[in-house]
Amino acid sequence: MSTPKGNEDKSASDTAQRLDLRGLMCPEPVLRTKKVLDGKPLGGVEVLVDSDINVMNLTRLANSLGLILESKQGEDGYTVVIKNSKNQAHSHERQATPKGKTAPGTDGGANRKDAKTTTVVFIAKDTFGEGDRDFSLNLMNLFLQTILQSGHRPQAILLANTGVRLMDPESSVSKVLSEFKDAGVDVFACGLCVEFYGLKEKIEKEQITNMYAICEYLFSADKIIAP
Amino acid sequence: MKSSNGESSRKLTANVKAAGCAAKISSLELKQVLSSIKRPQCPELLTSLDNFEDAAVYKITEDIAIVETLDFFPPVVDDPFLFGRIAAVNALSDVYAMGGNPVIALNILCFPTCDYPLEVVEEILKGGQAACSEANVVIAGGHSIQGPEPVYGLSVTGIVNPKSMLTNGGAKAEDVLVLTKPLGTGVMLLGMKGELLQEAQNKQLFQSLTMLNKGALQIAKKYQPSAATDITGFGMIGHASEMALASGLSAYLYIDELPFFAGARSLAAQGFVPAGAYGNRNTFSSSVINLEHIETAIQDLLFDPQTSGGLMFSLKEEPAMRLLAELKENGYEAAVIGKMQTGTPGSIFLEG
Repeated sequence: MSTPKGNEDKSASDTAQRLDLRGLMCPEPVLRTKKVLDGKPLGGVEVLVDSDINVMNLTRLANSLGLILESKQGEDGYTVVIKNSKNQAHSHERQATPKGKTAPGTDGGANRKDAKTTTVVFIAKDTFGEGDRDFSLNLMNLFLQTILQSGHRPQAILLANTGVRLMDPESSVSKVLSEFKDAGVDVFACGLCVEFYGLKEKIEKEQITNMYAICEYLFSADKIIAP
Repeated sequence: MKSSNGESSRKLTANVKAAGCAAKISSLELKQVLSSIKRPQCPELLTSLDNFEDAAVYKITEDIAIVETLDFFPPVVDDPFLFGRIAAVNALSDVYAMGGNPVIALNILCFPTCDYPLEVVEEILKGGQAACSEANVVIAGGHSIQGPEPVYGLSVTGIVNPKSMLTNGGAKAEDVLVLTKPLGTGVMLLGMKGELLQEAQNKQLFQSLTMLNKGALQIAKKYQPSAATDITGFGMIGHASEMALASGLSAYLYIDELPFFAGARSLAAQGFVPAGAYGNRNTFSSSVINLEHIETAIQDLLFDPQTSGGLMFSLKEEPAMRLLAELKENGYEAAVIGKMQTGTPGSIFLEG
């Protein structure tokens, strides 16, 4: 069964669509929930089901969509809330890898320094400001190094346009970015940009995401730093 | 898929709680029930219930034994003819899994005649007949009752030479395991019920579900397997574990070599996992080593109860490779999926 996390966050169910799927046989509960979620990529569905099998199947469905599931056993079945969690980075990790690979660790936000206010670093070019190109490239390196060394851990570092070049293994910045990744920070590059700049072969698939996920990060962040 | 008996009538699978071999009673529950029943010794009985054989084998002479089995389940598809055919192919399989040749069968039918027109029964029986005709098995009669949920299957009698019968318990260390059909029927059937399958996926699934294991056995016999079973209700892990236990060995399964139906992995990842898979997980996961390192969807497919699944042969590596080549030449989606090793009897090591 899924790990019940209790019902700490009521806000998600305020706007949630409620589905009473009790009494339905497999695969109806998961199928109907899937159909609703297909039109609600951000989650926000409350489902009533009557067996733990349904809860386990809905957990898989939520995981595959990069959403969070909370379940609670009541007297007449299970209440399952599927939502997009604002403060938990792993939902986004999953969103960025929709192939159903389980994201490592289930409490990705726990060891993060800036867990209370989520900060996202958004880099849409490979230089730190405009100026002498080599100098500006070095400044970008220095900027990221400084964040790393000062102990700030943003929720995510998102790279778009020429910013994706920083993930090229040949770039001096790529090492810094992998250190962020090892420290639990989500580091993602815009897929279109990766393709446009011909870096598809050089950047690992798991680190490539789409504009949808980028927007999700930006809109759910409390603070966005865009040098 | 469309019901062949028109839009107005109820879908055949409408009331079915668990489909196909997913409807099986769990292995743990079964063991508990059977352990309390005392059975007298019978020297002619060549199979032991303790070895979880696919069918019972009873010796008549030194060279002739009869193979007895029966299998039935609720509809797995809405097309009654197809359901009948799948149920019969599945029932016949247990005889092939013992290395036997099925010869005569009896229908087993439970049907709510108030809920469905009689033509549906006719179609189910025609489907069963089609499979038996293909297998050269005569249906000599049967038994039918009224019931709340349709159920169909066969009791099958086959013949085997006791010296060449294939049991679960004959596998040898260093043998490799050859599987003759892809895995994931339970998951795929849920996907089909949800109308999530593409035409090509339906085709691959139905082709596999209606394919007799007769041909695969005939080919395999040339390579003298030491053990055989069919992968059915207890899933890949359950049946591998039973063979390993009966043989006093440990089975290694190569995760990357396992053949799955196209799309099964993605369906499982989205939660189209039958209850029987969770039941099998409860029963067998304690025997599995390295399970936690395998992707959840693959785990689910390994526990997925199979309906009309393939045969699994255990044999020496060199003939196994020739067997694999010949199976492939004949259109089987076969694969070498693992090996037998000395180790804790019945344990399964997943090599991912």
